[in-house]
Amino acid sequence: MSCEEFQRILPELEDTYSLEQEQHLKTCSHCSALVADLNAIAREALLLADIEEPSPRVWNRIEIALRQEGLIRSAQPAAPTLRKARWNPIWLVPVAAIFLVIFGLLLYQRGGVEPQTAHVLHSTPLPSLPEGVSAEQAELLKVVAAQTPSLRASYESEFRAVNAYIRDAELAVRRNPNDQISQQYLTNAYEQRAMVYEMAMDHGLQ
Amino acid sequence: MSRSLRTVSVAVLSVVVLAAVASSQVRKEFHYQVHRRASVSIFNEYGPISVKPASGHQVIVVAILHSDKVEVDQNHGGNRVAVSSHLLAGADPESGRVDYEVWVPVNASVVLHSATGPIHAEKLHGDIILEGNTADVDVRDLSDGHVHVKTLKGPVTLTNVSEGHVEITSVSGDVALNSVNGPFVQVNSTTGNIRYDGDFGESGEYSLMTHTGNIDATTPSYASIDVYAHSEQGKVENDFLLEPSHTSFAARAGSAFAGTVGKAASSVKLLSFSGRIHLKKR
Amino acid sequence: MTGARKLQGDKLSEAEAIERAKQGDAEAFEALYHLHKRRVYSLCLRMTANTAAAEDLTQEAFLQLFRKIATFRGESAFSTWLHRMAVNVVLMQLRKKGLAVVPLEETFESEEETSKKEPGADDVRLTGSIDRLQLKRAIDDLPQGYRTIFLLHDVEGYEHNEIATLVGCSIGNSKSQLHKARMKLRELLKTSKAEKAAKP
Repeated sequence: MSCEEFQRILPELEDTYSLEQEQHLKTCSHCSALVADLNAIAREALLLADIEEPSPRVWNRIEIALRQEGLIRSAQPAAPTLRKARWNPIWLVPVAAIFLVIFGLLLYQRGGVEPQTAHVLHSTPLPSLPEGVSAEQAELLKVVAAQTPSLRASYESEFRAVNAYIRDAELAVRRNPNDQISQQYLTNAYEQRAMVYEMAMDHGLQ
Repeated sequence: MSRSLRTVSVAVLSVVVLAAVASSQVRKEFHYQVHRRASVSIFNEYGPISVKPASGHQVIVVAILHSDKVEVDQNHGGNRVAVSSHLLAGADPESGRVDYEVWVPVNASVVLHSATGPIHAEKLHGDIILEGNTADVDVRDLSDGHVHVKTLKGPVTLTNVSEGHVEITSVSGDVALNSVNGPFVQVNSTTGNIRYDGDFGESGEYSLMTHTGNIDATTPSYASIDVYAHSEQGKVENDFLLEPSHTSFAARAGSAFAGTVGKAASSVKLLSFSGRIHLKKR
Repeated sequence: MTGARKLQGDKLSEAEAIERAKQGDAEAFEALYHLHKRRVYSLCLRMTANTAAAEDLTQEAFLQLFRKIATFRGESAFSTWLHRMAVNVVLMQLRKKGLAVVPLEETFESEEETSKKEPGADDVRLTGSIDRLQLKRAIDDLPQGYRTIFLLHDVEGYEHNEIATLVGCSIGNSKSQLHKARMKLRELLKTSKAEKAAKP
């Protein structure tokens, strides 16, 4: 095998060589030096992955935008695990333990409602879902349509269906906050919507 | 005479057209040697995928590309085989179509994705994950593995799946389970109908849940189940005489029935928010 | 900032931060940002070779992520999801600016032939002696299209089929451009090394 032949197929090889190619590398110092150099570059490049640090103003701008868009909501009555994280456990272990016991009793009285679900449904005003699709979903549908126009209508009808499911499930949980089946409907509804998002995003990113 | 001439002309023309179509198709075949518990994934945007068991420790992939607007990329490392269709600029559902036939060791883990499908898998014992958008999904004669299916609107049919852990998520596609049993069988749907025809096995948890679809469960008189069925806004019907069960039957809006048949070996939940539910005796 | 450091110090898990972020918890958002900011920013900086542009793209990538966080189901790694989003944000920006994401074959072959003839460079070996700073400078000097493919494959770890999908080229083209990018880097590094050796 000549150097020209070897270097012509080198882009395709990706570190696996045939016997003939290995033989050429053993006998040709020029090609073996080339391969060694290219591998060294690839190895060194791996170490460059995450060594740069952005300036603090990047987070500041992100936080401002999140607040403007309402994605950061006002502070919830903190769950015990969050409050526990704020306190030095050495100094406040007994206080945290008492709080956990009280919270556990409250949970028991409520019949095992997940604290996060309770907070979402009782402390936070329910987002009002539009009849059709949300603005965010409409944006995603545009991206899908740009890639695969024939799928837009299909995804739109799926979004409408899962949005309706979530609406009904949220109403059911509001009526029966302690009802596990209503909570199960809500969990399923969110999972279904997440699946539609995931598949739509896969199409949009192609 | 003219009629027979016309018939011959049509036949000749058909052959010519078929030949022209076939000539633009490219057939590729890949063979891989693997060990026990191989992992095989096929990612295909447009076109069918069919998976069957191979003899021995090998994976065979036959791909028929329908045009030069799609290429097949394959990756084999150790016990892992990954084959994917890659669409080039200008590809559409016709020109971007690839037809896959795949043979894998019977215990292999298999992941299949095709937006349009159909997707077919049979006679395997390993874990299987199937994903499609509008693809018909047809799975039969599986045992002992996990079977996970995700689809937007393609219908899903499972037939003769035993001792499996089955999870099916379908937004609007109908789901049909024929002789499916195992320690865990779960179907979640938004608008798709769910049909179950089987005996619910000898022990297991079965949960069939939908928002607006109907649920029809047909089971023989010897079934051994602890069943709870509820619909917030739809009708529920039951052909069995149920023994009252110990679980508390909380008063809530809608229609419901609950109780046991036989020794209550399997737990069965049939839940439809606004669809109809019918537990039928075969 | 202090709160996020405390959360990080107490090892708030990524999964926990994601769940809290879905509820609109400000500190959870910040914790997720600090967990992943370097990787995203490094990617943006290397792809654009411009600090201001990299900061804008980092901001945009995280905002897109946080807007969609409610849909994250946990079936793939969060970092993979974020990273893919960041790559798409950068590539869209490059396309908007009309910068070639993948170079034309004809444009750069003559440059490679010229650089190969540089005296002295051929005698220099790189193995075992690649200066990271020199490599970073050489990457910045790569033409945009080569730089994109090289960064996506060798730095960020994408496979050729993924790069082909992201960038909109064929797999063969991706492999060919990666090889050319590495060859170009090799020449740039050798030249730099030869120049250094030649200085008194």
